[in-house]
Amino acid sequence: MELLNITNLHKRFGNKEVLKGLNLTVPQNSIFGFIGKNGAGKTTTMKTILGLIKPEEGAVKVDGKKVIYGKTKTNRHIGYLPDVPAFYSFMTAKEYLAFCGEIAGMDKAQIKTRSEELLSLVGLENERHRIKGFSRGMKQRLGIAQALLGHPKLLICDEPTSALDPVGRKEILDILKSIQIETTVLFSTHILSDVERICTDVAFLDNGRISMQGKLADLKSSYRREEYLLELDNEEDKQTLLRVFPEIKKNKEGALTFYESEHSLFDVLKFITAKKVALLKVQRMEPSLESLFMEVVEK
Amino acid sequence: MKTMLAFIKKEWMEQVRSGQLIILGIIFVLLGIMNPAIAKLTPWLVEIMAETLAQSGVIVGTVTVNALDSWQQFFKNAPLGLIAFIIIQSRIFTKEHQSGTLVLVVTRGMDRTKILVAKATSLVALWSVGYWLSFTITYGYNGYFWDNDIAHNLLFSVVCWWLFGLLMVSLVVLFSTMAKSNTGVIAGVGFSALVLYMISFYPKLSPYTPTLLTAGNALVRGLKKIREYQNSVATTFALIVLCFTLCIPIFNKKQL
Ligand SMILES: Nc1ncnc2c1ncn2[C@@H]1O[C@H](COP(=O)(O)OP(=O)(O)OP(=O)(O)O)[C@@H](O)[C@H]1O
Ligand SMILES: [Mg+2]
Repeated sequence: MELLNITNLHKRFGNKEVLKGLNLTVPQNSIFGFIGKNGAGKTTTMKTILGLIKPEEGAVKVDGKKVIYGKTKTNRHIGYLPDVPAFYSFMTAKEYLAFCGEIAGMDKAQIKTRSEELLSLVGLENERHRIKGFSRGMKQRLGIAQALLGHPKLLICDEPTSALDPVGRKEILDILKSIQIETTVLFSTHILSDVERICTDVAFLDNGRISMQGKLADLKSSYRREEYLLELDNEEDKQTLLRVFPEIKKNKEGALTFYESEHSLFDVLKFITAKKVALLKVQRMEPSLESLFMEVVEK
Repeated sequence: MKTMLAFIKKEWMEQVRSGQLIILGIIFVLLGIMNPAIAKLTPWLVEIMAETLAQSGVIVGTVTVNALDSWQQFFKNAPLGLIAFIIIQSRIFTKEHQSGTLVLVVTRGMDRTKILVAKATSLVALWSVGYWLSFTITYGYNGYFWDNDIAHNLLFSVVCWWLFGLLMVSLVVLFSTMAKSNTGVIAGVGFSALVLYMISFYPKLSPYTPTLLTAGNALVRGLKKIREYQNSVATTFALIVLCFTLCIPIFNKKQL
Protein backbone atom coordinates (compact mmCIF):
# COMPACT_ATOMS: atom_id res chain seq x y z
CA MET A 1 0.00 0.00 0.00
CA GLU A 2 1.21 3.47 -0.73
CA LEU A 3 0.61 6.13 1.85
CA LEU A 4 1.70 9.11 -0.19
CA ASN A 5 1.35 9.62 -3.88
CA ILE A 6 2.52 12.68 -5.81
CA THR A 7 1.88 12.98 -9.52
CA ASN A 8 3.21 15.51 -11.98
CA LEU A 9 3.85 18.28 -9.47
CA HIS A 10 4.81 21.67 -10.90
CA LYS A 11 5.76 24.70 -8.83
CA ARG A 12 7.40 27.96 -9.80
CA PHE A 13 8.42 30.96 -7.72
CA GLY A 14 8.35 33.98 -10.00
CA ASN A 15 10.06 32.82 -13.15
CA LYS A 16 12.04 30.16 -11.35
CA GLU A 17 10.69 26.68 -12.00
CA VAL A 18 11.50 24.65 -8.91
CA LEU A 19 9.44 21.50 -9.47
CA LYS A 20 9.01 20.34 -13.05
CA GLY A 21 6.71 17.35 -12.95
CA LEU A 22 7.68 15.52 -9.81
CA ASN A 23 6.35 12.00 -9.28
CA LEU A 24 6.85 10.30 -5.96
CA THR A 25 5.36 7.27 -4.24
CA VAL A 26 6.01 6.47 -0.62
CA PRO A 27 5.07 2.93 0.43
CA GLN A 28 3.59 2.24 3.85
CA ASN A 29 5.99 1.48 6.70
CA SER A 30 9.03 2.62 4.80
CA ILE A 31 11.70 4.99 5.99
CA PHE A 32 11.99 7.12 2.93
CA GLY A 33 15.08 9.21 2.33
CA PHE A 34 14.40 12.25 0.16
CA ILE A 35 17.74 13.39 -1.16
CA GLY A 36 18.67 16.50 -3.08
CA LYS A 37 21.10 19.36 -3.24
CA ASN A 38 20.51 22.70 -1.48
CA GLY A 39 17.72 24.48 -3.26
CA ALA A 40 16.58 21.37 -5.11
CA GLY A 41 13.02 21.79 -3.84
CA LYS A 42 12.79 19.32 -0.97
CA THR A 43 11.18 21.79 1.42
CA THR A 44 8.86 23.02 -1.33
CA THR A 45 7.70 19.45 -2.00
CA MET A 46 7.06 18.76 1.68
CA LYS A 47 5.13 21.98 2.18
CA THR A 48 2.97 21.08 -0.79
CA ILE A 49 2.16 17.73 0.82
CA LEU A 50 0.96 19.65 3.89
CA GLY A 51 -1.18 22.06 1.88
CA LEU A 52 1.05 25.01 2.75
CA ILE A 53 2.05 25.72 -0.84
CA LYS A 54 -0.20 25.83 -3.85
CA PRO A 55 1.25 24.00 -6.84
CA GLU A 56 0.50 25.16 -10.39
CA GLU A 57 -0.18 21.65 -11.53
CA GLY A 58 -0.25 18.12 -10.22
CA ALA A 59 -1.89 16.24 -7.38
CA VAL A 60 -0.85 15.03 -3.96
CA LYS A 61 -2.72 12.21 -2.25
CA VAL A 62 -2.22 11.26 1.37
CA ASP A 63 -3.73 7.90 2.31
CA GLY A 64 -5.88 8.13 -0.81
CA LYS A 65 -7.25 11.61 -0.05
CA LYS A 66 -6.40 14.63 -2.18
CA VAL A 67 -4.53 17.50 -0.55
CA ILE A 68 -6.15 20.92 -1.04
CA TYR A 69 -4.20 24.14 -0.47
CA GLY A 70 -5.30 26.01 2.64
CA LYS A 71 -7.38 23.08 3.88
CA THR A 72 -6.16 20.94 6.71
CA LYS A 73 -8.15 17.68 6.62
CA THR A 74 -5.39 15.55 5.17
CA ASN A 75 -2.98 16.80 7.83
CA ARG A 76 -4.74 14.92 10.63
CA HIS A 77 -2.64 11.82 10.05
CA ILE A 78 0.61 13.60 9.35
CA GLY A 79 3.27 14.60 11.83
CA TYR A 80 5.44 17.41 10.53
CA LEU A 81 8.82 18.65 11.63
CA PRO A 82 9.78 21.77 9.59
CA ASP A 83 13.41 22.59 8.81
CA VAL A 84 13.30 25.47 11.30
CA PRO A 85 10.46 24.68 13.70
CA ALA A 86 8.80 27.69 15.35
CA PHE A 87 7.06 27.16 18.67
CA TYR A 88 5.25 29.48 21.07
CA SER A 89 8.30 30.61 22.99
CA PHE A 90 6.32 31.71 26.04
CA MET A 91 5.36 28.10 26.80
CA THR A 92 7.34 25.28 28.31
CA ALA A 93 7.89 22.09 26.31
CA LYS A 94 5.20 20.35 28.31
CA GLU A 95 2.69 23.16 27.87
CA TYR A 96 3.38 23.22 24.15
CA LEU A 97 2.71 19.51 23.76
CA ALA A 98 -0.49 19.91 25.79
CA PHE A 99 -1.58 22.72 23.46
CA CYS A 100 -0.78 20.57 20.41
CA GLY A 101 -2.80 17.70 21.83
CA GLU A 102 -5.75 19.93 22.66
CA ILE A 103 -6.03 21.50 19.22
CA ALA A 104 -5.82 18.02 17.71
CA GLY A 105 -8.75 16.94 19.89
CA MET A 106 -6.88 14.46 22.11
CA ASP A 107 -8.25 13.96 25.60
CA LYS A 108 -6.45 15.05 28.76
CA ALA A 109 -5.27 11.68 30.02
CA GLN A 110 -4.04 10.71 26.58
CA ILE A 111 -2.11 13.95 26.24
CA LYS A 112 -0.49 13.53 29.63
CA THR A 113 0.79 9.99 29.12
CA ARG A 114 1.81 10.55 25.51
CA SER A 115 3.72 13.77 26.17
CA GLU A 116 5.57 12.31 29.14
CA GLU A 117 6.50 9.32 27.01
CA LEU A 118 7.71 11.51 24.15
CA LEU A 119 9.57 14.02 26.30
CA SER A 120 11.60 11.26 27.84
CA LEU A 121 12.11 9.71 24.39
CA VAL A 122 13.70 12.94 23.15
CA GLY A 123 15.46 13.66 26.43
CA LEU A 124 13.56 16.78 27.50
CA GLU A 125 11.71 15.26 30.47
CA ASN A 126 13.55 17.40 33.02
CA GLU A 127 13.39 20.66 31.11
CA ARG A 128 11.28 23.17 33.02
CA HIS A 129 12.27 26.36 31.20
CA ARG A 130 10.28 28.16 28.56
CA ILE A 131 11.04 27.37 24.91
CA LYS A 132 12.44 30.91 24.53
CA GLY A 133 15.74 29.70 25.98
CA PHE A 134 16.05 26.46 24.02
CA SER A 135 19.06 25.69 21.82
CA ARG A 136 18.55 24.61 18.21
CA GLY A 137 19.12 20.99 19.12
CA MET A 138 16.57 21.16 21.92
CA LYS A 139 14.04 22.72 19.57
CA GLN A 140 14.69 19.93 17.08
CA ARG A 141 14.00 17.38 19.81
CA LEU A 142 10.81 19.12 20.83
CA GLY A 143 9.95 19.21 17.13
CA ILE A 144 10.20 15.43 16.91
CA ALA A 145 8.09 15.05 20.05
CA GLN A 146 5.30 17.30 18.77
CA ALA A 147 5.35 15.58 15.39
CA LEU A 148 4.85 12.15 16.96
CA LEU A 149 2.23 13.27 19.47
CA GLY A 150 -0.85 12.05 17.63
CA HIS A 151 0.59 8.69 16.50
CA PRO A 152 0.72 9.90 12.89
CA LYS A 153 0.56 7.48 9.97
CA LEU A 154 3.07 9.60 8.12
CA LEU A 155 5.92 11.54 9.64
CA ILE A 156 7.46 14.24 7.47
CA CYS A 157 10.81 15.57 8.69
CA ASP A 158 12.67 18.32 6.88
CA GLU A 159 16.37 17.76 7.53
CA PRO A 160 15.81 16.54 11.07
CA THR A 161 19.45 15.94 11.87
CA SER A 162 21.21 18.95 10.39
CA ALA A 163 21.19 21.00 13.62
CA LEU A 164 22.40 18.18 15.85
CA ASP A 165 25.72 17.01 17.21
CA PRO A 166 26.86 13.46 16.29
CA VAL A 167 25.39 11.92 19.45
CA GLY A 168 22.11 13.77 19.05
CA ARG A 169 22.01 12.77 15.41
CA LYS A 170 22.36 9.12 16.22
CA GLU A 171 19.63 9.40 18.86
CA ILE A 172 17.21 11.03 16.45
CA LEU A 173 17.95 8.46 13.75
CA ASP A 174 17.37 5.68 16.26
CA ILE A 175 14.04 7.24 17.18
CA LEU A 176 13.02 7.44 13.52
CA LYS A 177 13.99 3.81 13.05
CA SER A 178 12.16 2.69 16.17
CA ILE A 179 8.79 4.13 15.10
CA GLN A 180 8.79 2.36 11.75
CA ILE A 181 6.29 -0.24 12.94
CA GLU A 182 3.44 2.23 13.21
CA THR A 183 4.64 5.21 11.19
CA THR A 184 5.92 5.78 7.71
CA VAL A 185 8.76 8.27 7.69
CA LEU A 186 9.62 10.66 4.88
CA PHE A 187 12.69 12.69 5.61
CA SER A 188 14.77 15.00 3.53
CA THR A 189 18.47 15.30 3.95
CA HIS A 190 21.73 15.80 2.24
CA ILE A 191 23.63 13.74 4.78
CA LEU A 192 23.96 10.49 2.88
CA SER A 193 25.39 8.49 5.75
CA ASP A 194 22.13 9.09 7.64
CA VAL A 195 20.22 7.64 4.73
CA GLU A 196 22.42 4.57 4.54
CA ARG A 197 22.01 4.07 8.25
CA ILE A 198 18.24 3.85 8.45
CA CYS A 199 16.42 4.19 5.11
CA THR A 200 14.58 1.41 3.35
CA ASP A 201 13.72 3.53 0.31
CA VAL A 202 15.26 6.55 -1.33
CA ALA A 203 14.46 9.10 -4.00
CA PHE A 204 16.86 11.57 -5.55
CA LEU A 205 15.46 14.97 -6.42
CA ASP A 206 17.39 16.70 -9.15
CA ASN A 207 16.46 19.51 -11.49
CA GLY A 208 12.82 19.51 -10.42
CA ARG A 209 12.21 15.83 -10.97
CA ILE A 210 12.82 12.53 -9.21
CA SER A 211 15.72 11.08 -11.12
CA MET A 212 15.84 7.79 -9.26
CA GLN A 213 13.65 6.11 -6.69
CA GLY A 214 13.20 2.72 -5.12
CA LYS A 215 14.34 0.34 -2.40
CA LEU A 216 17.82 1.24 -1.27
CA ALA A 217 19.04 -2.33 -1.65
CA ASP A 218 17.59 -2.68 -5.17
CA LEU A 219 19.10 0.58 -6.33
CA LYS A 220 22.47 -0.41 -5.03
CA SER A 221 22.45 -3.81 -6.66
CA SER A 222 21.22 -2.49 -9.98
CA TYR A 223 24.04 -0.01 -9.98
CA ARG A 224 26.58 -2.56 -8.94
CA ARG A 225 29.09 -2.74 -11.72
CA GLU A 226 31.68 -5.37 -10.73
CA GLU A 227 34.36 -2.92 -9.79
CA TYR A 228 37.61 -4.04 -8.16
CA LEU A 229 40.33 -2.34 -6.25
CA LEU A 230 43.97 -3.39 -5.98
CA GLU A 231 46.49 -2.13 -3.53
CA LEU A 232 50.13 -2.72 -4.29
CA ASP A 233 53.21 -1.98 -2.31
CA ASN A 234 55.57 -1.07 -5.09
CA GLU A 235 55.20 1.97 -7.36
CA GLU A 236 57.08 0.24 -10.23
CA ASP A 237 54.62 -2.66 -10.20
CA LYS A 238 51.76 -0.20 -10.45
CA GLN A 239 53.30 1.38 -13.53
CA THR A 240 53.75 -2.07 -15.11
CA LEU A 241 50.12 -2.99 -14.50
CA LEU A 242 48.93 0.37 -15.83
CA ARG A 243 50.93 -0.25 -19.01
CA VAL A 244 49.74 -3.83 -19.55
CA PHE A 245 46.10 -3.15 -18.71
CA PRO A 246 45.28 0.22 -20.25
CA GLU A 247 41.78 0.56 -18.66
CA ILE A 248 43.07 0.33 -15.08
CA LYS A 249 42.87 3.67 -13.27
CA LYS A 250 44.82 5.01 -10.37
CA ASN A 251 42.71 6.75 -7.74
CA LYS A 252 43.61 9.56 -5.36
CA GLU A 253 44.85 7.20 -2.66
CA GLY A 254 47.21 5.51 -5.12
CA ALA A 255 45.19 2.32 -5.39
CA LEU A 256 44.29 0.79 -8.76
CA THR A 257 40.68 0.29 -9.83
CA PHE A 258 39.08 -1.43 -12.80
CA TYR A 259 35.78 -2.89 -13.97
CA GLU A 260 35.26 -6.58 -14.74
CA SER A 261 33.84 -5.59 -18.11
CA GLU A 262 37.15 -3.98 -19.06
CA HIS A 263 39.61 -6.46 -17.69
CA SER A 264 38.77 -9.82 -16.21
CA LEU A 265 39.83 -10.12 -12.57
CA PHE A 266 41.36 -13.49 -13.31
CA ASP A 267 43.52 -12.12 -16.10
CA VAL A 268 44.83 -9.45 -13.79
CA LEU A 269 45.46 -11.90 -10.97
CA LYS A 270 47.16 -14.34 -13.39
CA PHE A 271 49.50 -11.56 -14.45
CA ILE A 272 50.20 -10.69 -10.82
CA THR A 273 51.08 -14.28 -9.89
CA ALA A 274 53.20 -14.73 -13.01
CA LYS A 275 55.19 -11.56 -12.28
CA LYS A 276 55.27 -12.26 -8.52
CA VAL A 277 53.94 -8.79 -7.77
CA ALA A 278 53.66 -8.00 -4.03
CA LEU A 279 49.91 -7.62 -3.45
CA LEU A 280 48.48 -5.90 -0.38
CA LYS A 281 44.76 -6.11 -1.02
CA VAL A 282 42.13 -7.09 -3.58
CA GLN A 283 38.60 -5.84 -2.95
CA ARG A 284 35.27 -5.82 -4.70
CA MET A 285 33.79 -2.32 -4.44
CA GLU A 286 30.27 -1.73 -3.09
CA PRO A 287 28.57 1.17 -4.76
CA SER A 288 28.07 3.91 -2.16
CA LEU A 289 25.05 6.15 -2.02
CA GLU A 290 27.42 8.99 -2.68
CA SER A 291 28.58 7.54 -5.97
CA LEU A 292 24.94 6.94 -6.92
CA PHE A 293 24.08 10.52 -5.99
CA MET A 294 27.00 11.91 -7.95
CA GLU A 295 26.04 9.84 -10.95
CA VAL A 296 22.44 11.08 -10.75
CA VAL A 297 23.42 14.70 -10.31
CA GLU A 298 26.01 14.72 -13.04
CA LYS A 299 23.86 13.05 -15.66
CA MET B 1 -15.29 23.97 19.62
CA LYS B 2 -12.84 22.24 21.95
CA THR B 3 -9.95 23.04 19.65
CA MET B 4 -11.04 26.66 19.47
CA LEU B 5 -11.14 26.93 23.25
CA ALA B 6 -7.65 25.46 23.39
CA PHE B 7 -6.48 28.15 20.99
CA ILE B 8 -8.20 30.90 22.98
CA LYS B 9 -6.49 29.55 26.10
CA LYS B 10 -3.18 29.88 24.30
CA GLU B 11 -4.00 33.49 23.31
CA TRP B 12 -4.84 34.27 26.91
CA MET B 13 -1.58 32.74 28.14
CA GLU B 14 0.30 34.83 25.58
CA GLN B 15 -1.45 38.05 26.62
CA VAL B 16 -0.62 37.37 30.27
CA ARG B 17 2.97 36.22 29.84
CA SER B 18 3.95 38.90 27.34
CA GLY B 19 2.69 41.55 29.78
CA GLN B 20 0.19 42.93 27.24
CA LEU B 21 -2.76 42.20 29.49
CA ILE B 22 -1.36 44.11 32.42
CA ILE B 23 -0.42 47.09 30.23
CA LEU B 24 -3.92 47.23 28.77
CA GLY B 25 -5.39 46.88 32.24
CA ILE B 26 -3.35 49.80 33.54
CA ILE B 27 -4.27 51.99 30.56
CA PHE B 28 -8.02 51.38 30.85
CA VAL B 29 -8.04 51.79 34.63
CA LEU B 30 -6.04 55.03 34.39
CA LEU B 31 -8.39 56.39 31.74
CA GLY B 32 -11.36 55.47 33.92
CA ILE B 33 -9.91 57.40 36.85
CA MET B 34 -8.68 60.30 34.76
CA ASN B 35 -12.12 61.32 33.45
CA PRO B 36 -13.69 62.27 36.81
CA ALA B 37 -10.32 63.49 38.11
CA ILE B 38 -9.93 66.06 35.36
CA ALA B 39 -13.50 67.23 35.85
CA LYS B 40 -12.97 67.45 39.59
CA LEU B 41 -9.76 69.44 39.19
CA THR B 42 -11.13 71.90 36.65
CA PRO B 43 -12.52 74.48 39.14
CA TRP B 44 -9.27 74.41 41.03
CA LEU B 45 -7.24 74.89 37.84
CA VAL B 46 -9.52 77.72 36.76
CA GLU B 47 -9.03 79.37 40.16
CA ILE B 48 -5.26 79.33 39.77
CA MET B 49 -5.53 80.72 36.28
CA ALA B 50 -8.05 83.31 37.38
CA GLU B 51 -5.46 84.96 39.61
CA THR B 52 -3.06 85.49 36.74
CA LEU B 53 -5.87 86.50 34.44
CA ALA B 54 -7.20 88.98 36.99
CA GLN B 55 -3.86 90.77 36.91
CA SER B 56 -4.33 91.34 33.21
CA GLY B 57 -7.85 92.58 33.82
CA VAL B 58 -9.92 89.56 32.85
CA ILE B 59 -12.51 88.53 35.40
CA VAL B 60 -13.37 84.84 35.56
CA GLY B 61 -16.41 83.71 37.50
CA THR B 62 -16.46 80.56 39.62
CA VAL B 63 -16.89 77.33 37.71
CA THR B 64 -19.06 74.48 38.85
CA VAL B 65 -18.72 70.99 37.41
CA ASN B 66 -21.02 67.99 37.36
CA ALA B 67 -21.19 64.46 35.98
CA LEU B 68 -21.67 65.78 32.45
CA ASP B 69 -18.16 67.27 32.48
CA SER B 70 -16.76 63.94 33.51
CA TRP B 71 -18.68 62.17 30.72
CA GLN B 72 -17.36 64.74 28.29
CA GLN B 73 -13.87 63.73 29.38
CA PHE B 74 -14.86 60.08 28.91
CA PHE B 75 -15.72 60.59 25.24
CA LYS B 76 -12.65 62.75 24.75
CA ASN B 77 -10.30 60.16 26.23
CA ALA B 78 -11.89 57.01 24.80
CA PRO B 79 -9.91 57.39 21.53
CA LEU B 80 -6.68 57.24 23.54
CA GLY B 81 -7.67 53.87 24.95
CA LEU B 82 -8.71 52.60 21.54
CA ILE B 83 -5.50 53.73 19.85
CA ALA B 84 -3.37 52.17 22.59
CA PHE B 85 -5.40 48.97 22.26
CA ILE B 86 -4.92 48.84 18.47
CA ILE B 87 -1.18 49.48 18.67
CA ILE B 88 -0.65 46.88 21.39
CA GLN B 89 -2.76 44.24 19.63
CA SER B 90 -1.58 44.97 16.09
CA ARG B 91 0.90 42.10 16.36
CA ILE B 92 -1.63 39.44 17.32
CA PHE B 93 -1.51 37.88 13.84
CA THR B 94 1.62 39.34 12.28
CA LYS B 95 3.84 38.05 15.08
CA GLU B 96 2.73 34.53 14.18
CA HIS B 97 3.14 35.15 10.46
CA GLN B 98 6.66 36.44 10.93
CA SER B 99 7.80 33.67 13.26
CA GLY B 100 5.92 30.89 11.48
CA THR B 101 4.30 29.54 14.64
CA LEU B 102 1.00 28.93 12.87
CA VAL B 103 2.61 26.39 10.52
CA LEU B 104 2.62 23.70 13.17
CA VAL B 105 -0.94 24.59 14.14
CA VAL B 106 -2.45 24.15 10.68
CA THR B 107 -0.29 21.14 9.86
CA ARG B 108 -1.87 19.52 12.94
CA GLY B 109 -5.18 19.77 11.14
CA MET B 110 -6.65 22.80 12.92
CA ASP B 111 -9.05 24.63 10.65
CA ARG B 112 -7.81 28.08 9.62
CA THR B 113 -11.26 29.57 10.15
CA LYS B 114 -11.18 28.40 13.76
CA ILE B 115 -7.84 30.13 14.29
CA LEU B 116 -9.35 33.32 12.93
CA VAL B 117 -12.47 33.07 15.07
CA ALA B 118 -10.41 32.31 18.18
CA LYS B 119 -8.20 35.35 17.66
CA ALA B 120 -11.10 37.63 16.77
CA THR B 121 -13.01 36.46 19.85
CA SER B 122 -10.00 37.17 22.05
CA LEU B 123 -9.67 40.68 20.62
CA VAL B 124 -13.36 41.46 21.00
CA ALA B 125 -13.30 40.17 24.58
CA LEU B 126 -10.20 42.20 25.46
CA TRP B 127 -11.60 45.39 23.96
CA SER B 128 -14.95 44.92 25.67
CA VAL B 129 -13.53 44.14 29.09
CA GLY B 130 -11.08 47.04 28.89
CA TYR B 131 -13.65 49.53 27.68
CA TRP B 132 -16.34 48.57 30.17
CA LEU B 133 -13.82 48.53 32.97
CA SER B 134 -12.96 52.10 32.11
CA PHE B 135 -16.67 52.97 31.96
CA THR B 136 -17.48 51.33 35.29
CA ILE B 137 -14.72 53.23 37.07
CA THR B 138 -15.85 56.57 35.65
CA TYR B 139 -19.47 55.74 36.44
CA GLY B 140 -18.58 54.87 40.01
CA TYR B 141 -16.64 58.07 40.68
CA ASN B 142 -19.28 60.19 38.95
CA GLY B 143 -21.97 58.72 41.18
CA TYR B 144 -19.80 59.34 44.22
CA PHE B 145 -18.90 62.95 43.42
CA TRP B 146 -22.01 64.07 41.58
CA ASP B 147 -25.09 62.48 40.09
CA ASN B 148 -25.17 60.31 36.96
CA ASP B 149 -28.90 60.78 36.53
CA ILE B 150 -28.51 64.14 34.84
CA ALA B 151 -26.88 62.43 31.84
CA HIS B 152 -29.33 61.67 29.01
CA ASN B 153 -29.15 58.36 27.11
CA LEU B 154 -26.03 57.40 29.02
CA LEU B 155 -26.13 53.67 28.29
CA PHE B 156 -26.92 54.18 24.61
CA SER B 157 -24.14 56.69 24.13
CA VAL B 158 -21.45 54.48 25.68
CA VAL B 159 -22.70 51.41 23.79
CA CYS B 160 -22.33 53.45 20.60
CA TRP B 161 -18.73 54.24 21.40
CA TRP B 162 -18.05 50.60 22.23
CA LEU B 163 -19.56 49.62 18.88
CA PHE B 164 -17.29 52.07 17.08
CA GLY B 165 -14.35 50.40 18.86
CA LEU B 166 -15.66 47.03 17.72
CA LEU B 167 -15.55 48.24 14.13
CA MET B 168 -11.91 49.21 14.60
CA VAL B 169 -11.21 45.78 16.12
CA SER B 170 -12.78 44.10 13.09
CA LEU B 171 -10.55 46.25 10.89
CA VAL B 172 -7.53 45.11 12.90
CA VAL B 173 -8.49 41.50 12.18
CA LEU B 174 -9.10 42.21 8.49
CA PHE B 175 -5.80 44.01 7.94
CA SER B 176 -3.97 41.40 10.02
CA THR B 177 -4.91 38.74 7.50
CA MET B 178 -3.48 40.89 4.70
CA ALA B 179 -0.45 42.72 6.10
CA LYS B 180 2.98 41.22 6.61
CA SER B 181 3.91 43.36 9.60
CA ASN B 182 2.11 45.22 12.35
CA THR B 183 2.93 48.59 10.78
CA GLY B 184 0.80 47.46 7.86
CA VAL B 185 -2.05 46.70 10.24
CA ILE B 186 -1.79 50.06 12.00
CA ALA B 187 -1.56 51.90 8.68
CA GLY B 188 -4.55 50.03 7.29
CA VAL B 189 -6.76 50.72 10.31
CA GLY B 190 -5.59 54.33 10.51
CA PHE B 191 -6.27 54.92 6.86
CA SER B 192 -9.74 53.38 7.11
CA ALA B 193 -10.57 55.60 10.08
CA LEU B 194 -9.36 58.61 8.12
CA VAL B 195 -11.57 57.71 5.17
CA LEU B 196 -14.57 57.35 7.50
CA TYR B 197 -13.89 60.82 8.94
CA MET B 198 -13.57 62.33 5.47
CA ILE B 199 -16.89 60.83 4.48
CA SER B 200 -18.53 62.20 7.61
CA PHE B 201 -17.69 65.75 6.46
CA TYR B 202 -20.39 65.46 3.80
CA PRO B 203 -23.53 66.63 5.61
CA LYS B 204 -25.67 64.24 3.57
CA LEU B 205 -23.59 61.21 4.47
CA SER B 206 -22.67 62.08 8.02
CA PRO B 207 -25.78 60.50 9.65
CA TYR B 208 -24.72 57.20 8.07
CA THR B 209 -21.04 57.18 8.97
CA PRO B 210 -19.75 55.16 11.94
CA THR B 211 -17.79 58.16 13.22
CA LEU B 212 -21.09 59.67 14.38
CA LEU B 213 -21.09 57.01 17.11
CA THR B 214 -18.17 58.74 18.77
CA ALA B 215 -20.24 61.89 19.31
CA GLY B 216 -21.55 60.65 22.66
CA ASN B 217 -21.21 64.03 24.32
CA ALA B 218 -24.10 65.48 22.33
CA LEU B 219 -26.24 62.53 23.43
CA VAL B 220 -25.60 62.78 27.15
CA ARG B 221 -26.22 66.51 27.06
CA GLY B 222 -29.52 65.85 25.35
CA LEU B 223 -28.53 67.84 22.25
CA LYS B 224 -29.20 64.85 20.00
CA LYS B 225 -31.78 62.12 19.96
CA ILE B 226 -31.16 58.36 19.82
CA ARG B 227 -33.14 58.29 16.58
CA GLU B 228 -30.47 60.34 14.83
CA TYR B 229 -27.91 57.57 15.47
CA GLN B 230 -29.93 54.69 14.06
CA ASN B 231 -28.52 54.80 10.55
CA SER B 232 -25.00 55.08 11.81
CA VAL B 233 -25.48 52.04 14.05
CA ALA B 234 -26.81 50.11 11.07
CA THR B 235 -23.87 50.93 8.79
CA THR B 236 -21.41 50.17 11.56
CA PHE B 237 -23.01 46.77 12.10
CA ALA B 238 -22.91 46.07 8.38
CA LEU B 239 -19.25 47.07 8.16
CA ILE B 240 -18.31 44.87 11.12
CA VAL B 241 -20.04 41.88 9.54
CA LEU B 242 -18.36 42.69 6.22
CA CYS B 243 -14.88 42.82 7.79
CA PHE B 244 -15.33 39.57 9.68
CA THR B 245 -16.70 37.84 6.58
CA LEU B 246 -14.08 39.17 4.21
CA CYS B 247 -11.14 38.06 6.33
CA ILE B 248 -12.09 34.36 6.22
CA PRO B 249 -11.35 33.69 2.52
CA ILE B 250 -8.30 35.97 2.68
CA PHE B 251 -6.88 34.08 5.63
CA ASN B 252 -7.64 30.70 4.03
CA LYS B 253 -5.60 31.68 0.97
CA LYS B 254 -2.74 33.20 2.93
CA GLN B 255 0.68 31.59 2.61
CA LEU B 256 1.84 30.81 6.13
N1 LIG C 1 8.67 31.51 -0.95
C1 LIG C 1 9.59 31.46 -1.93
N2 LIG C 1 9.73 32.48 -2.79
C2 LIG C 1 10.64 32.44 -3.78
N3 LIG C 1 11.47 31.42 -4.00
C3 LIG C 1 11.41 30.36 -3.19
C4 LIG C 1 10.46 30.33 -2.10
N4 LIG C 1 10.61 29.15 -1.46
C5 LIG C 1 11.59 28.50 -2.11
N5 LIG C 1 12.08 29.21 -3.14
C6 LIG C 1 13.13 28.78 -4.08
O1 LIG C 1 12.85 27.47 -4.47
C7 LIG C 1 14.02 26.69 -4.53
C8 LIG C 1 13.84 25.42 -3.74
O2 LIG C 1 13.78 25.72 -2.38
P1 LIG C 1 13.61 24.62 -1.26
O3 LIG C 1 13.60 25.33 0.04
O4 LIG C 1 12.46 23.76 -1.58
O5 LIG C 1 14.97 23.79 -1.40
P2 LIG C 1 15.53 22.63 -0.49
O6 LIG C 1 15.72 21.45 -1.37
O7 LIG C 1 14.67 22.44 0.70
O8 LIG C 1 16.95 23.21 -0.06
P3 LIG C 1 17.77 23.05 1.30
O9 LIG C 1 18.52 21.78 1.21
O10 LIG C 1 18.69 24.23 1.28
O11 LIG C 1 16.81 23.11 2.42
C9 LIG C 1 15.15 27.56 -4.02
O12 LIG C 1 15.92 27.96 -5.11
C10 LIG C 1 14.47 28.76 -3.42
O13 LIG C 1 15.19 29.91 -3.70
MG1 LIG D 1 14.93 22.77 2.75
